[in-house]
Amino acid sequence: MLSRNAQGLYWISRYLERAEHGCRLLADQLKALEDRPVEDIDRAWRRLYAALDCKPVGGSLESNLNDEDFMLADSYTLADDLTFEPNNPDAILSCISAARENARQVRNVIGKDMWYCLNTAYLELHKLGIGDIWSNQPGEFYLRTGDVLQTFSGTAASTMYRDNGWHFLQIGRFIERTQLLTKLVDAQIATFPLTEPHIESDWRSLLQICEAQVAYSHRYSLEYRPGDVVNFLVSDPRLPHSVRYALAKVSTALDVISVHRPAVEANRLAGRMAALIDFDWPSRDPEDDTATRNTLQSIRNSCRRLHEDIQATYFDYEVEDRPVT
Amino acid sequence: MEIPTRVLHAKSQTPESGKSFFSGYEVDPSCYDEMFNSDGEPHDHCRKLWEALDPMSRADIVAMQERAERSFLHEGITFAVYGDEGAQERIIPIDLLPRVLDAKTWEFIELGLRQRLDALNLFLADVYGPARILADGILPADLVYSCPQYRIEMRGVQVPHGTYVSLCGTDLVRTHEGFMVLEDNLRVPSGVSYMLANRRALKTSFRNLFRHYHVRSIEHYGPLLRQTLSELAPNDVTNPCMVLLTPGVYNSAYYEHLFLAREMGIELVQGRDLLVHNGFVYMRTTGGMQRVDVIYRRVDDDFLDPLAFRPDSQLGVPGLFYAYRLGNVAIANAPGTGVADDKSIYPYVPDMIRYYLDEEPLLANVETHLCRNKEGLEFTLDNLEHLVVKMVGSSGGYGMLVGPHATPAERNEYAEEIRKNPANFVSQPTLNLSCAPCLTSDGAAPRHVDLRPFVLRGLETRLVPGAFCRVALTPGSLVVNSSQGGGGKDFWVLSS
Repeated sequence: MLSRNAQGLYWISRYLERAEHGCRLLADQLKALEDRPVEDIDRAWRRLYAALDCKPVGGSLESNLNDEDFMLADSYTLADDLTFEPNNPDAILSCISAARENARQVRNVIGKDMWYCLNTAYLELHKLGIGDIWSNQPGEFYLRTGDVLQTFSGTAASTMYRDNGWHFLQIGRFIERTQLLTKLVDAQIATFPLTEPHIESDWRSLLQICEAQVAYSHRYSLEYRPGDVVNFLVSDPRLPHSVRYALAKVSTALDVISVHRPAVEANRLAGRMAALIDFDWPSRDPEDDTATRNTLQSIRNSCRRLHEDIQATYFDYEVEDRPVT
Repeated sequence: MEIPTRVLHAKSQTPESGKSFFSGYEVDPSCYDEMFNSDGEPHDHCRKLWEALDPMSRADIVAMQERAERSFLHEGITFAVYGDEGAQERIIPIDLLPRVLDAKTWEFIELGLRQRLDALNLFLADVYGPARILADGILPADLVYSCPQYRIEMRGVQVPHGTYVSLCGTDLVRTHEGFMVLEDNLRVPSGVSYMLANRRALKTSFRNLFRHYHVRSIEHYGPLLRQTLSELAPNDVTNPCMVLLTPGVYNSAYYEHLFLAREMGIELVQGRDLLVHNGFVYMRTTGGMQRVDVIYRRVDDDFLDPLAFRPDSQLGVPGLFYAYRLGNVAIANAPGTGVADDKSIYPYVPDMIRYYLDEEPLLANVETHLCRNKEGLEFTLDNLEHLVVKMVGSSGGYGMLVGPHATPAERNEYAEEIRKNPANFVSQPTLNLSCAPCLTSDGAAPRHVDLRPFVLRGLETRLVPGAFCRVALTPGSLVVNSSQGGGGKDFWVLSS
């Protein structure tokens, strides 16, 4: 497969995973606006920005907690920033545009229906502004947009030929998911330390963002204990939005791609991260914020190196100065 | 020329009710009408189409048209216009009313196109080889050698089967006198994807009509192109690796590049995907470097190889021309074909046909005056209000003057430009291009059209019975270029 095409597929799925993540975060946040006190909403925005590792474009998160109206208006601005702001590369529209630009480059290696889905999503979103969605159940908008993005993944899963293209799509998606999840859990712990008394709804909402609430209640209980929630989201290999699950997917895809051209470092890193979770995950002491956050940070760093190795092995490699075949 | 002013109304099936689609259609007797004869009756070969369309309401056809355009946009069948920000992606407007041609006329056009492409290929082989035609004084040598499109680097290069031009898109126009060649596009002609997309749109819109009309199929264009390209592969390769080289997503014809690569099942590459190593061309794949045998390039000569042509090119592949000269890779079309479609060489094409093939040209040329000649210059300046003046090196309808439609001030300004550098201009009479019915806000109305059939040549010459029919959507306008607001129509060749 042409390297540029593989790279395009890799980035399409990274951007779409990011956009989908943004949709779920905002859907949850806007639901919170309905019935939560101002302090909670304020803290939730901080968690959200920390989870995305960014700041509002041209603004700050300093707000006036005594004025509810101000807070709601602020939510409007912040939601706009994370949805439509063209200068924010993490905004949902920016991610979808970037995915579509990549898709335009590689249109011949994705199916017609995949392109159609992505292009339609872009064309629809492109016409809208925050004013259009705010007046009428904005939460619905994010759920709908998330659905469209899932349709893309579903179409890909049910139609794509399982050659390297498919596996690059998988690698991109799950590397991005690992990054987003570790950062999200990290931001959650930073905002709501495990050692402090917790409000259940803060942890329930974290599970909801990761579409894990029902599974959690089956696996654990209806009591949302921070240690269990973190443990579940990081180490459960059966939960699609868990770090461990994402890493397993990365490994599987790497195995297939490596057949013709091994990415030694990437394989090593993927294995190492999985082992870290399987054998060294500090869940035995759920109170230890620092150890947990360090582990998450280390996974994130490894992930970045894994990305670099894939880049250097498959997309942008040096040409050996010997006869090539 | 005296232009008749009598206005005829097209025949309509239900003239009283005023509801028939063609009831308001005025046949302009000054130009050939593709659908109606001079009595307002449909031509025989258009009668079935007329019978099917006339009872329809404008609203029906508008609805179909909107559906077709929406599907173009969603599929991304778009076109970028340079220097037009904001409108970065536009669709080429489609007019759903097809243009129909009878079998016999097409047969004649096909013979004429084959003849012309044969002669043009022989001409290229000659001017990059022994240059007999120049020695024999058929063409002034300085005209060829001073042409910016003449690539001295191509001297003595052996091209496969003597095929310099593997793909051409010839612009034909029709007047009362018949079909004429307006331009040979021998570099990187575009538009073939619109030919195919328009046909698909029509098939969706007028399913029943196709069942009863014997319209010849054009769907095999992709396989034919693939076959043509594979015949160019270097000798020892049995299963050649072929790629389509595009300048990238920002090129105005990017959609077409995608489309053609898909139709042929070959890889769409950019310059940065390729590299030259030990005289061979390779593409960068996830499994390592893979050798490339045939490049269908949609990048202009200038940008193909920064080492051979423009050194500032970011779109090309350093060393590509070296690999080409070694015969290790085929490039279609060959570099340097532009010399044969240059506007100042064009007037000599009929002579080339006589010279190389010893035949009379079947398709006529448009009378052309070269301003580099004293008589041509004088004639052009004296008759500016009747002429179309074009710049020699330009294409896409940029930088041309349509005398009758220009203001005196514009003409004076243009005349100044001509005097400054006469060799850069040619002039032609303003042709009354034929008209075809188009859907407008007032129902069906005549608009000027031209025709671009696509001819392929590998071991043999091939073409599909179809063409991209371009329409000047502005009433009275003669400029059909997509970059100047033109649209497209499906073009039907009947099998009997």
